[in-house]
Amino acid sequence: MSNSTTGHNHAQAHHWETSAAPLLVVLGVLFAVVFCFVEWITYNNKMLAIICAGIGTPLLLAGIAKWTAEALTQKPVMEGLTPIALPIFIVSEVFIFMGLFVSYWTMRLSAGPNWPPAGTPTDMNLVLPIIMTVILVASSFTYHIAEIKSEQNNMGGFRLWLFLSIILGAIFLGCTAYEYNHLIHINFVPSTNAYSTAFYSITGFHASHVVVGLGSFLTVLIAALAGKTNKSLTFCVGLYWHFVDVVWFFVVSQVYYW
Amino acid sequence: MSSASSGFKLGEWIFTTDHKRIGVLYLIGSIAAFAVAGLMALLIRIEQSSPGPTIVSDAYTGGDQYNVWLYFHGAAMILGFLIPGLTGFAANYLLPLMIGAKDVAFPRINALSVWLFWAGIVVALLTFIVPDKPDVMWTGYPPYSITTAGNTALYVFTVHLMGFSSILAAVNFLVTIIYMRAPGMGWNQLNMFVWSCLTALIIQLIFVPVLAAAVTLLLFDRYLGTHFFDPANGGDVLLYQNLFWFYSHPAVYVIFLPAMGIFYEIFATMAKNPIFNYKAAVYGGMCFIVLISGEVWIHHLYYSGMPDWLRIGQMITTLMISVPVGLMTISLFGTLYKGAITFNVPMYYGTAALYLLLIGGLTGIPLAMTVMAVHLGETSFVHAHFHFIMGIFSTFAVFAAVDFWFPKIAGKMLNEKQGKLGFWFNFIGVNITFWPLFIIGVEGMPRRYWDYSQFPVHFGSYHKIATIGAFIVAIGMVLTISNWLISAIKGEKAPSNPWGSNSLEWTHTATPPGPGNFPTPVTVDANWTPYNYK
Repeated sequence: MSNSTTGHNHAQAHHWETSAAPLLVVLGVLFAVVFCFVEWITYNNKMLAIICAGIGTPLLLAGIAKWTAEALTQKPVMEGLTPIALPIFIVSEVFIFMGLFVSYWTMRLSAGPNWPPAGTPTDMNLVLPIIMTVILVASSFTYHIAEIKSEQNNMGGFRLWLFLSIILGAIFLGCTAYEYNHLIHINFVPSTNAYSTAFYSITGFHASHVVVGLGSFLTVLIAALAGKTNKSLTFCVGLYWHFVDVVWFFVVSQVYYW
Repeated sequence: MSSASSGFKLGEWIFTTDHKRIGVLYLIGSIAAFAVAGLMALLIRIEQSSPGPTIVSDAYTGGDQYNVWLYFHGAAMILGFLIPGLTGFAANYLLPLMIGAKDVAFPRINALSVWLFWAGIVVALLTFIVPDKPDVMWTGYPPYSITTAGNTALYVFTVHLMGFSSILAAVNFLVTIIYMRAPGMGWNQLNMFVWSCLTALIIQLIFVPVLAAAVTLLLFDRYLGTHFFDPANGGDVLLYQNLFWFYSHPAVYVIFLPAMGIFYEIFATMAKNPIFNYKAAVYGGMCFIVLISGEVWIHHLYYSGMPDWLRIGQMITTLMISVPVGLMTISLFGTLYKGAITFNVPMYYGTAALYLLLIGGLTGIPLAMTVMAVHLGETSFVHAHFHFIMGIFSTFAVFAAVDFWFPKIAGKMLNEKQGKLGFWFNFIGVNITFWPLFIIGVEGMPRRYWDYSQFPVHFGSYHKIATIGAFIVAIGMVLTISNWLISAIKGEKAPSNPWGSNSLEWTHTATPPGPGNFPTPVTVDANWTPYNYK
């Protein structure tokens, strides 16, 4: 993030603004996600899939890095809009989760007394989700403390509490991995029955949000280690994390305990 | 300020974060999708021009070929042309100019949106390269989409890429409209086009994610073996149809609203009149559509089986849609009242749009009524109805928008003669294409059939007429699009405000506008409106 401070500095720009970051991100997604998936799953061409992932991942990471660097050093078109935009984006996230939950409820309610369907383990681990809840809520608190430290301009404290939040988030993902691993071992896989369908889709989709949240934490941490922070970025990353936290309550109550 | 833009620099275009250039990139991408999808339409029409197999390779696999054409035509026209042509191109280019902002709130996110859209087009175009071409219409209904040999993943990823692009654009533009209006610009002083985009983007923000969820579940069912849409294992096929139409019916308004917005701008400018009944059209029309758009989707499932109370309820809400649409149409028509109308190409398209609204709207009413719908549903009557109201109406809106703002975008005037010639080919062609389909639809010609040799012989003649119409449209399209290309290079230099408009994009910016849009920050006073012509 060297001297990319040109542009956005004058009230009236006199040259065309450019940024390579968005195109890099899109190319990265196209190769690392779309082409990789299609080659691996649809055509079962694992070699080509790995090559696509190999091309896409560096492009994606480079794009994100460049984007973050620009966001931290350049003046936005108008100050203070990011913290307004993120909640609007979260509205659409809510509707994605709604789509998933409605699908689950449909299957669940139309099954009537035949729930849980055959193939569901009788001894689903109901303690682990409670532990995971505690971990995730704790990480929301640690991040909140990190935000307070950041407001007090205590960079050391900010980094420490941010790091703790990342560790807690990683433990949460570890729990998911452990749980999946256990369930797959006892032959409870996504295709087993209607419950496994909903279970893996909803928890998996939530876990992917945890991954995105952790990724953005990591980005903020790397920037903070280089001595750069941005108030609205810190706020937004936190807000997203709290959202992921709130969704988890729905996941636990609906998927595990209902 | 034009000194900054002298000469064409490729890097300044592909890495651009300027909303005007992003708008042009949207236009190029959507016209490319339009051209290929249009070719598919021609193939479909040629195939249907005779009752049995016409150009498909043989009677056994012909249906598969035909399904691929249907898939690409539908998916590319709606997701690749109409939505990005209106809320991509037009909204990008015009919104910041109309509200007096120097760019959108998040220029890099905006660039991300346009390239995601382009990635979606690339994935859609893979259809023609892969051996197992997607053949799932634009709807992707299971169980077919799960059992077909076609590559449903490409369909899903096209929807994902374009959907994510739409969601990001919606967030970006909503923030821009709400927070970046020029100082002094109140809600009742906004351009109609700004209002139409504001309302369309709210719909986009809320409903696109549900489509994304639906096709994701489709992907899981197809490739991970889950059972969301598998009745044998506790799933529900109708669940997909509900999720799909929960988005896709409101998507009609994502297209309809900005299209209306464009025609309002053209009518007011060309008639030099203020918008007739501005507040009724905005609050009773556009905002009311947002409110009820999410409660009518089940009418797409009339034939899928549902309790009567639901069927009748849906009939009522569906018919209710004609109230806001009627308000908007009256306001559009009333804007011409006692105006000294300049009839140029955009106004030609505008006048045709009134006719399309009338025919498309009136033919929608029997389809909304459950008794009639049983007879007319799934026939070519439906096909002709939505091509009138959605396909042609909105396509004319995109064309009118390009023609109307062409002097601003390219700095050159369009060739009026060629534009009018193109219009007449388009207008006459669509009528020749779709009126026969209305007629044989009532007589029972099913939608989507490629081989209808079991049906009355005269259906073939009607289809032949429709095919001739399609070729007339094709000539019109070539004339229209080539006119843009030729005029962009050879057209005569445009004056700064050729239509004498009172809207900010004409009165306060250079032609074409440079980086940062406005030479000096814009403020407006309480008496200013974009339609202050008297």
